[in-house]
Amino acid sequence: MSLFLERMVNGLADGSIYALLALALVVVFRSTGQLNFAQGEIGTMGAFFVSTLTLSGLPVWLSIVLAMVLGFMVAAGVERVVVRPIEHRNPSAVIVALIGVFLAVNQLNAMIWGVDARRLPSVFPTGADDFVTVLDTPLRISRLGVIGVLIVLLVLLWLLFTKTKIGLAMRAVANNQESSNLVGIRVGTVLLLGWGLAGSIGVLAAAMLAPSAGLSGTLMLSPFLLASVAAVLGGLDSPIGAVVGGLVIGVTEAVIVGYVDFLGADMLMPVMLVILLVVLLFRPSGLFGSERVERV
Amino acid sequence: MSGDTLLSVAGLSAGYGPIQVLHQLDFNVAEGEIVVILGANGAGKTTTMRAISGMIARKGTVEFAGKDISSAKPDAILRDGISQVPQGRGTFTDLSVDDNLRAGGYTVKGSIDDDLERWYAQFPRLGERRDQKAGSLSGGEQQMLAVARAMMPRPKLLLCDEPSLGLAPMITQELFRVLGTLRDEHGMSLLIVEQNAGMALKLADRAYVLETGNIVATGTGEELLADDTIREAYLGVVS
Repeated sequence: MSLFLERMVNGLADGSIYALLALALVVVFRSTGQLNFAQGEIGTMGAFFVSTLTLSGLPVWLSIVLAMVLGFMVAAGVERVVVRPIEHRNPSAVIVALIGVFLAVNQLNAMIWGVDARRLPSVFPTGADDFVTVLDTPLRISRLGVIGVLIVLLVLLWLLFTKTKIGLAMRAVANNQESSNLVGIRVGTVLLLGWGLAGSIGVLAAAMLAPSAGLSGTLMLSPFLLASVAAVLGGLDSPIGAVVGGLVIGVTEAVIVGYVDFLGADMLMPVMLVILLVVLLFRPSGLFGSERVERV
Repeated sequence: MSGDTLLSVAGLSAGYGPIQVLHQLDFNVAEGEIVVILGANGAGKTTTMRAISGMIARKGTVEFAGKDISSAKPDAILRDGISQVPQGRGTFTDLSVDDNLRAGGYTVKGSIDDDLERWYAQFPRLGERRDQKAGSLSGGEQQMLAVARAMMPRPKLLLCDEPSLGLAPMITQELFRVLGTLRDEHGMSLLIVEQNAGMALKLADRAYVLETGNIVATGTGEELLADDTIREAYLGVVS
């Protein structure tokens, strides 16, 4: 029981990171219909930036906030410089361009920060006795903290989308760009903000993952794949779906690695791909995605 | 009933890329006036609307309330007081009725709560459904929502792009009654493009007939209703 609980919490903590990344993917997909392949790498760049800032003596939390600002600018820059000009001419070419951005950011990270793995300090206490005991099970504060970060971010996003004018504009643009234009919303600016917001969330995910996974150029490769599966599972246009999908994938991972010996950690990706296939076959719009049923 | 000229269009040309759709249109709308532009499919009705509201590139002069808006951007034109009910209604189908109206009031500074209540009072059906997704409304309700949304920015001139499209005659009648109310009770001026000549011309103070991007006839609503050529072309009446 105790081991089970610990594994579940670990699964939820990993799942929270996938959920964050999947949220970033969904925010972009809803507004522009694009899957940002560079999402993970922009996150990795942010995590390296956190590393540089903390080494220069800044507190970890402040470093993460500043790195999220960097992530905002990089992702917004990608939208303005790469996505928008190409989308104008050929929407499907954007996919190729974003894979290009993925490679470019990946290489840029290696050029700036080298290829050696580094340690990234956690914003949470990670000492040997920094745990709380629940049902006789020691749960690490750093793992619970990651879940807490997801919850706080969800509350903030919910407030943004439902209580603010800019959030309403973002939902309007995601639904109908032409009509958004008609009611006086500057669609270009809103798209830019959406990409930037996703960039920040991606950095947050990377900064949460790096302390336990180790910071290297490949930090976000497999989390990005898992987050993509999570986003498809939940429904690419559903933020709730992204969160549920991320947590489900995290817990599934923990169960497979912990209890299904004949699969284990090595077979994790194939299992995830099977999940992806099954979802696409039987429920292409995902668990929470809209099938766009409308009356005319 | 009609006052000073509110919208004045001179030599308006517009199109998409190399294809010119509108050829040197001249027309105007006075304050408190309902003007209808009658045209068949492909005559250039929607292009005219989009050219006025700044959604596409255009040549010529568009003056609104004495101000040249020929090269202004859509959100600036909206702030100046021209709002549009787009063809096909264009509601935000995934958003609630309430959020649709709030999005309509996007350019308004300060509280829009009074505006919301005013339009819910005008359209009680929308008030009953304010938390429902717009996509779940009937066609007629969505058209009312599109009108209410277009009124949220507190415009002086309302552009309506084929409001009767896809609506049953009863609903269309109700819609045109509401459009008349906007003028009579809210002091609005309206420019409506339609191919439903009968009801539109009855509502109109004045009308223009648009054919392949050129204005070919003009007169009061009654005059055009009595015109045999018009009756034949747009009402299917063979005389």
